[in-house]
Amino acid sequence: MLPSPQPNRRLAAAVSIGGALGFSRWMSSIATAASEAAQQDQRHCVILWMSGGPSQLDTFDMKPDHANGGTFKEIATNVPGIRFSEHLPKLAQQADQLAIVRSMATKEGDHERGTKVMRTGHPIGGPVNYPAIGCSLSKSLKNPQSKLPGYVTVAPGPFARDSTSPGFLGPKFAATSVSVSGPPSGDQFAQLRVDHLQPHAGVGPARHNERLALWRSMQDSFLKTRATENVVAQDTVYQSALDMLGSNAKDAFDLSAESDKVRQAYGRGTFGQGCLMARRLIERGVPLVEVTLGDGLGWDTHANNFEQVKQLSQQLDAGWSTLMSELDEIGLLEKTTILWAGEFGRTPTINSNGGRDHFPQAFTCVLAGGGVAGGQTYGKTSDNGMEVTDGKVNQQDLLATLCAALGVNPKQENIGEGGRPIAIAEGNLIEQVLR
Amino acid sequence: MSVAKASAPFPLILLALFPFALTAALSLPSSADDASTDQFARASQRVDQFLDQAQQHAGLQPAGESSDAEFCRRVWLDLAGVAPPVWSLRSFLADQRTDKRDRLIASLLDSPRFATHMANRWNEFLLPADSTNDRQIDSAELHRWLRKQFLANTPYDHVVGGFLTAGGKSDRGPAIFYTSRNLEPVKLASATSRLFLGVQLECAQCHPHPFARWMQDDFWSFAAFFSQLELVDTRMAGGQAIADRPGREVTFPDSDRVMAPRYPGAAEPPEPDPQDFRRRQLTIWLASRNNPYFARAAANRVWAHLFGRGLVDPVDAMDDDNPPSHPELLQYLADYFVEERFDLKSLYGMLARTKAYGRSSAVVSDRRPPPSSFAAMNVKTLSAAQFFDSLQQNVLLGSFGPAGGNPDRIAMVRQEFVTRMRSAGTSPTEYPHGVVQALGMMNGPEMLAATAEPQSGLIASLDAPFFSDRERIETLFLACLSRPPSDDEQARFDDYLKNARSNQTRAARLSDLTWILLNTAECFVCP
Repeated sequence: MLPSPQPNRRLAAAVSIGGALGFSRWMSSIATAASEAAQQDQRHCVILWMSGGPSQLDTFDMKPDHANGGTFKEIATNVPGIRFSEHLPKLAQQADQLAIVRSMATKEGDHERGTKVMRTGHPIGGPVNYPAIGCSLSKSLKNPQSKLPGYVTVAPGPFARDSTSPGFLGPKFAATSVSVSGPPSGDQFAQLRVDHLQPHAGVGPARHNERLALWRSMQDSFLKTRATENVVAQDTVYQSALDMLGSNAKDAFDLSAESDKVRQAYGRGTFGQGCLMARRLIERGVPLVEVTLGDGLGWDTHANNFEQVKQLSQQLDAGWSTLMSELDEIGLLEKTTILWAGEFGRTPTINSNGGRDHFPQAFTCVLAGGGVAGGQTYGKTSDNGMEVTDGKVNQQDLLATLCAALGVNPKQENIGEGGRPIAIAEGNLIEQVLR
Repeated sequence: MSVAKASAPFPLILLALFPFALTAALSLPSSADDASTDQFARASQRVDQFLDQAQQHAGLQPAGESSDAEFCRRVWLDLAGVAPPVWSLRSFLADQRTDKRDRLIASLLDSPRFATHMANRWNEFLLPADSTNDRQIDSAELHRWLRKQFLANTPYDHVVGGFLTAGGKSDRGPAIFYTSRNLEPVKLASATSRLFLGVQLECAQCHPHPFARWMQDDFWSFAAFFSQLELVDTRMAGGQAIADRPGREVTFPDSDRVMAPRYPGAAEPPEPDPQDFRRRQLTIWLASRNNPYFARAAANRVWAHLFGRGLVDPVDAMDDDNPPSHPELLQYLADYFVEERFDLKSLYGMLARTKAYGRSSAVVSDRRPPPSSFAAMNVKTLSAAQFFDSLQQNVLLGSFGPAGGNPDRIAMVRQEFVTRMRSAGTSPTEYPHGVVQALGMMNGPEMLAATAEPQSGLIASLDAPFFSDRERIETLFLACLSRPPSDDEQARFDDYLKNARSNQTRAARLSDLTWILLNTAECFVCP
C-alpha cells in the first residue's frame, strides 16, 4: 500500500530545503506556507447515496406527457430547458451547478448486487476484492494535514459493509461510520454519533493524559528493538487516533455548535443533519464524506411511490441545496465534487400498488460542484422512459468521470491481492460533463 | 532442541565447513531408502543449515536466541492461538529442564487448542473475504468439521481430499466453501488453486497467465471439475449440503465450446471416474504426491504461519516471477512433508524445533536483517481472534460485565470485535488497521470490560490485599505481554500506582496500567 505521493510533495520539499539551510524558523514558516498551499489544493468528494434506488421519473428525468410520468408536476430551474420535479424547488435554483446524467444503465437489479456494482464498479463475488470508490478516492485525495479520518460515512445503509469495504486496500482505508443514536422524534434534530470517540466513563482528560505518558514510554522502548513495519504502523495509527482525540478536529462531529437556524435549513432528519456534518468535515479538510438518504431502503418504493418520493425529495432538497450554498459561501464548492446516486432507478411503468419497481436499464445520476460542467443534461431516455436512446453510460464510466472531476486519474493503480496493479475505475470519461 | 545442541554430532561441524559437499553427498542415492532416511533425519538442523548458508552468503548477522518468555509467548500464539496463561508461563519460566522448549512444543501440538486454532485459521482461508455474517451456522459447521480433522491429525492430503469430495447431509461441513461462492465453477476453481496449489490460476480466466505457464484453457478445464455442483437444502437440519449431478458443463467464454475437465498443464484427460464424479477425479491428482504444487504450497503455508512470511510470499502467488527466497529449503520441506505422509503435526513440530524459530525478534533497529532472510524472527501481528481470546483468558478471566461469564454474551462481543477488526488476506508482517480500529481498541466495549474495575477479573483479583505492588505489576505484565517487567518498567509502573490522585482507588490505577499494556504494540504482536 503506497501512500499517495501527490499532496505531500511540496511539504517534503520545503522541509528538506529548511533542513539543509539549518534555519529552523525559515523552515517552519516555509512548512506552514506549504501546508496552507496543500490545504488550498485539497479536493473533496461528497457522495449522496440514495438507498433503495431513487425514482428518476419523479426527480430529474420527468415524463409529464406520458402515462408513465406519474402525478408530480414539473418546475422550471435556473437553467432554461432543464426541468425538475416540483418537490425539488431549492435544487432547481441551483441547476446551473448540476450535470444530470440521464442515460445510466447497469446489469444489476438486486439491491445488494446493484449497490456493490455502483459503489465498486464491479459485480459482486469476483476473484478480486475491489475497494469501494469512497475508499479509493479517500486514499488518492488523502489530506496529510488533517487529523480527521479520510472517509466518513453518515448513516450508511443496509449493504454498507460491502459497499464501503476497502477490499484489497486493507482496513486502514475503511470508512469511519457515523450512526444515528435513537430514532428522530418530534421536532428534535436527528442525533448523529461516531462510535468509540469518547474514552470510557470516568476517564477524564487528566487521567487520559497520565495513561498516555506511560503508554508512550512503553511504545518507545519496544520500538528500539522491534521497529518492524507492523509495529511502526501500529504506533503511527494509534498516534493519529490520539491526535484526533486530543485536538479540536473531532468537534466537527458536534452539530450542537451550529445555530438552530442553520440546522433547520438543512432539515431535521438524518440526511439533513448528515449534510451539515459533511460541510463541517469538508471545512476541516476531510477528503470524502458520504451521506445516505432513506433509512434502510427508503427509496425502494414498490408501493405508494409518490407519497414516499415526495417526502424523500423534501429532505433531499433541503439538505443538498443548503450544503451546496454553504460550501459556495466559504469558497469550497469549487473544490468539492458531489455525486448523487442510488443502486439503480425505478420502472417507468407504475404497478398496481401505485409503486415503481427496480430498473437498472435506464436511470439518472447527478454530478455537481468542482470539476463538473453544471447546468446541463447528458444522455436521453425514450419518451416512455423504458430505454436509453442517447449517450448510454455505465457505472464504470460514471466512477471514472467522478475521479476526473476530482483531479484524480481514474487509471491510477493500486496494488491488489497477489501484487496485481488495478486501476481505480476503467470506464470512459463522460467528457461533456467535465470542466 | 537443547538436547540435540548439547550432543552436536561431528558431521555437523564438517557440514558447516563444507556445506556444498554434503548436499551433494546427500543427493547421491546409494540406496534409495538409506538416502531418504539420512536426508530426513535431524530435519530441524537441515532446515537451519539451509538458512545459515544463505545468511552467511549474504553476510548477515543472525539474532540471538529468544528468551524463554519470548519463546513461550510465540509458541503458544502460533500453535494454540492464545498467549500463554499466566500459570503456565510461570511454570515454564521456572522449569529447569534443558529440553523444556521441545516439551512445550509437543504438548501444545497435542492439545485440543491446536486443533481449534488451526480450524480458526483455515475457516478464514476457506471463506471468501467479502462473506457476510448471515451464514454463521454453515461457517460453524465448517469449523467443527475442520477441528475434527486437526484433532485426529488426519494427514493433510486426506483432509483436502475429504474437503474436495464432501457432499450430502452427513458430510456437509465443507458445504459453505461451495455455497458462499454460489457453486460457481469459476470461483471454486480460483479458490481451490490459490489454497491448495498456491497459484492464482484465475488470472488465466481472461487471458494467458502473465507469469506462469498456465493458459486460458487450463483455467477453464480446471473449472470444469466443479461444473456438476448442486445445492441440497437441509435448512431443517440447520445447514446446507452439496451434491454432484452429471450433466452440467462449463463453456469457454463467448463460445459454445464445452470444456472437458483436465488437470492444469496436463496434455491428457484424467482417468474416467466410474460415476463421472468430477470432484473425485480432481482430488486423485490434486491431493497427491504426484502433484508437484500440492506439497510445496502446503509446506510454504506452514512456514508462513510460523515465520510470518512464506518462502514464497504471498503464499498464493507461487509463480515463475516470484521465486522462493530459499528454493532448496522449500523443496526440502515439500519432500519432508511427503516423506512424513502429510503429517501436519510432524511438520509443525520439526519447524518449531529449529534454531531459526527459536531466534529472538529483538534487533537494534538499524541492523535488522531483511524479513525474507529469517535471520531474526519476524514480528507477527495478531489476528483479531488471537487478541480477543488472549484478552479473555488472561484479563477478563471469564467474567464479562454484570452478566458474568454468560457465554452467549462473550460470543457476541467476540464476534463484534472480530468483525470490526477483520483483515482477511493480509500478511501478519503488516498492521492492517486504521484510525477507526485504533479508536475501537482504545474505547471499545471489550477494552471497557478489560479495564473497568468492577468488570475485569484480573483487576479484581489483583486488588486483593495480600499482593505486593511488585507482584501486581509482575502479574499484569505476564497477563498482557507474557513477560516479566524490566527493572525500569517495574519502577515506572510502581510510581504510577503510588501516585494515585486523592480520589482514586488502587483498582482505578490498576485499570489504567491494564489499559496501557493492552494498547501497546507489543500486546498486539507475536514476538
